[in-house]
Amino acid sequence: MKKISGVIASAAILAVGFAGSAFAEFPERPVKLIVPWAAGGDTDNIFRPFAAEFQKHLGQPVAIANVTGASGTVGAREAKNAPADGYSLYAVHDYIHLTYYAGLGDVKYSDFEPICLVAATPSVLTASAKTPFKTWAEFLADAKKRPGQISVGATLGSTSHIFPALIEKGAGIKLKYVSYDGLAPRMNALLGGHIDLTDSNLTQKGKVEAGLLRFLAIASPERDKEMPDVPTLKELGVNLVYEVVRGLLVPKGTPAPARAKLEEACAKATKEASFAEAMKKQGTRVAFLNAKDYGAFLDKIDGENKTIMTELGLMKK
Amino acid sequence: MFELLGDGLVTMLQWKYLVPLCLGTLIGIVGGSLPGVTITMTIIVVVPFTFGLDPLQGLAAMTGVYVGGSAGGLVTASLLGIPGTPSAIATTFDGFPMARRGEPGRALWLGVWASFFGGLIGGAFLIFVTGPLAAIALEFGPWEFFSLFVLAMAMVAGLTEGSMVKGLISTGIGLLITVIGTDPITSVPRFTFGSEFVRAGFPFLPVLIGVFAFAQIMTDVEKLGRPGTRAAAAARASASLRVSQLKVLGEILSRPFLLVWSTVVGIAIGVLPAIGGSAANMLAYDQAKKFSRHPEAFGTGTPEGIIASESSNNANVGGSLVTIMAFGIPGDAVTAVMLGAMTIHGIQSGPLFVSQNPELAYGIYAAYILAHPIMVLILGVGTLFLLRVTRVRLAVLAPVVLVLCAIGAYALNNTMQTVYVLLTFGIIGYVLVKLGFPLAPLILGLILGDQIELNLVRAIMTDADPLLFLTRPISAGLLAAAVLSVALAMWQHLRHQRRVATADGETDF
Amino acid sequence: MILGRDGIAGLILAGISLVLFVHSLGLPHLPIVPVGPGFYPRIVLGFLGLASLALVAQDAMAQRARAERAAGEPRNHRLVLALFAAFGAYVALMPLAGFRLATFAFVAAVQALLDPPRRAAQWAVLAAVALGTVTATYLVFETYLLVLLPRGTWTGW
Repeated sequence: MKKISGVIASAAILAVGFAGSAFAEFPERPVKLIVPWAAGGDTDNIFRPFAAEFQKHLGQPVAIANVTGASGTVGAREAKNAPADGYSLYAVHDYIHLTYYAGLGDVKYSDFEPICLVAATPSVLTASAKTPFKTWAEFLADAKKRPGQISVGATLGSTSHIFPALIEKGAGIKLKYVSYDGLAPRMNALLGGHIDLTDSNLTQKGKVEAGLLRFLAIASPERDKEMPDVPTLKELGVNLVYEVVRGLLVPKGTPAPARAKLEEACAKATKEASFAEAMKKQGTRVAFLNAKDYGAFLDKIDGENKTIMTELGLMKK
Repeated sequence: MFELLGDGLVTMLQWKYLVPLCLGTLIGIVGGSLPGVTITMTIIVVVPFTFGLDPLQGLAAMTGVYVGGSAGGLVTASLLGIPGTPSAIATTFDGFPMARRGEPGRALWLGVWASFFGGLIGGAFLIFVTGPLAAIALEFGPWEFFSLFVLAMAMVAGLTEGSMVKGLISTGIGLLITVIGTDPITSVPRFTFGSEFVRAGFPFLPVLIGVFAFAQIMTDVEKLGRPGTRAAAAARASASLRVSQLKVLGEILSRPFLLVWSTVVGIAIGVLPAIGGSAANMLAYDQAKKFSRHPEAFGTGTPEGIIASESSNNANVGGSLVTIMAFGIPGDAVTAVMLGAMTIHGIQSGPLFVSQNPELAYGIYAAYILAHPIMVLILGVGTLFLLRVTRVRLAVLAPVVLVLCAIGAYALNNTMQTVYVLLTFGIIGYVLVKLGFPLAPLILGLILGDQIELNLVRAIMTDADPLLFLTRPISAGLLAAAVLSVALAMWQHLRHQRRVATADGETDF
Repeated sequence: MILGRDGIAGLILAGISLVLFVHSLGLPHLPIVPVGPGFYPRIVLGFLGLASLALVAQDAMAQRARAERAAGEPRNHRLVLALFAAFGAYVALMPLAGFRLATFAFVAAVQALLDPPRRAAQWAVLAAVALGTVTATYLVFETYLLVLLPRGTWTGW
């Protein structure tokens, strides 16, 4: 009996929900933001300040849920299977395309509806201070002399792997990859000289200033104002811009009024001066795109990532 | 340096900083004592509140949570036999038997004071030898980590009272659990046989709580309705909750070598990234047993076991702070969140952190030191209520504890998946205990499994030469120590067996 | 040769190790990593298999005279099974009925199971404990710690 009345009750709730007008009230309870990486990581550090601004404009608390594991695919699956009611958001970056094509996960970006693009973090090629090369030119000469000898720490099949792989292709060199998931373990290994190179970002500025690391080149369109001494790959003759872009998605089927409300709150949150300030400390720039543009952008980078993965021979057979 | 530290202490003693520090410590103790709620989770909860505070207030609160959390785990471990946090696993080995014997107050206060002294000695290391310690930690490449983990397992497999073979099998089962699911390097699903549930793997925390909570509660449930149970329960209910602080302090301070050595083990493990407090307490416990004149008393409620475990895990916190102070690299999830919060406050963490922000750095040192007496005070008030837990009827305690375990497992990943894992391993753990397999080596295998594989494969990916494990001096030394440790354990074991011919492996975990 | 409990456990573990070892040989291998995903599992399984066989051998050689101590104390295994079943039902019910209803039912049921109340006052205590657990955990975790506990698909609550 209880079960039946429960079913009726939930059906009634659903019916009211779909009537649309009820969504004028959205959101009426806290919203869950699924971050597929661990607390304290780069993605987490970007979305926590974002959530603080976002909830102000949304009018309901935003609870961050770190759903971690298996190169972020556990979180992706969790987000995909979450109810499409606007109360489950998903913080995503380029890995969603890569893990799909590498066959690590079965979740595709098109399983979701775009809300907005939030931020972009340019990749920086970083070398250990224990390596002999001090500049990009010295690195290039050394790499050509010892093909396949210089080691790179990377999360295999993710952005930190693709970025050096693109450099290999652009500069005509060959590197050796060692599996280190996440920036913190890579930094430890780099400081100890157990790996020679890694992909990092401007958050590691302090270690460069202390002479423990070297930034060889940044993959942004132009030099960063905070670190004007780091040359861009473009000026070094490698035509490569590589930024990790992070945005918000919701499961497919989320009602349009809820999406509109989320998009509006996101637009306002990313315009806050305090958010721009917080992002600067993360070596990141605020890069808002609305749902429509973000959707088009996702289509574009998905195609690009497919090409990259095919060219690098990392596509699932 | 002393001047800076003095200034830091004076600053920290202002209400402005003392209040967040006390609140943080209190929240940490509560979070730490709830089984399944990790220190990481507790600190994440505190972070948003620190946004509105000035950076040092925020850091004081977070340091308080870290110290309080490490101590809070001992409450659940001693009184319920379930580790409140992974860093209190070894505390259950002796703390719980002592509490069961009718001395819950003594068990608890031994833990509290051991945490206090361990933390303070750890603090001294943190302040005075940060640089050299961190430099040694950096020398640890994949080869050294691999060898260190082998040593750790060799140490703990020898801990068991029963057969050493069973200890080794338990280690193997622990390692096997980490192998199941998605491969950590190329994400190939292993041994899943097509099951989505298995594919997601078995995260450490729900397995730990499942194994301990069910093994503990079920062993009690078995005895329900048995003649004598009621009498035993009545005896326990009337057991004195009073405890002589002087006597407890005396018990700890009369063992300076044990205290210092456990602390050193805790710091050493804390400084090395990727291991954390969960291994430190078990290794310190093993060391205490090896050095003890009464190794056979371990596991029956000896004060030495509690002191070793609790002093090492609070010292471990000091060790983890070392890598943050020296390089701005988090050593574990808790320090990763602290670091994240620092950057949000606009503090540039990194190797220049101490020299560029001396008032902040010494403020953290001061907060770390002051959090310890605060922790003792809070627990002093808290134990008046907490000790009553031992008097609660099993029929009430069991469901409430299991609900807390379920929530803890759920909150880890915010999915039901981890709750299913909790139940699965509750059953497996109970069966293993019934068959006389010790749980400690299993848990250590579980903690280290992923890291052993990662470092082994990293070593091979970096250089194909397998001899490097033996030619790199630190790695070779660690492997030699592993062999020595097994030999010593076997010798101690044989000597013990010759002395007492009776063996009872019952509930040997 | 009659094997004891240890011997049987050892044989089972050795069997599992062997099956998984064979299975690990068929795991796909990515060219970018010099050793495949089956490399480390084979080391673990080899170790576990050998240790299990050692246990079998130890058990077979052990004195049969060793007293079977199972007879010593009567144990309430039926209650243990019932408690496992109750927890299983709780876990299954949580996503359907929602955290609050499932927890109330679980805490009430386990109390009734372990210490059956006889008087009305005892039933009242039982209900109060169940209600108190639900209220306290829900308040602390959902409102304060922002852990969004499972909502029931049947009840939406």
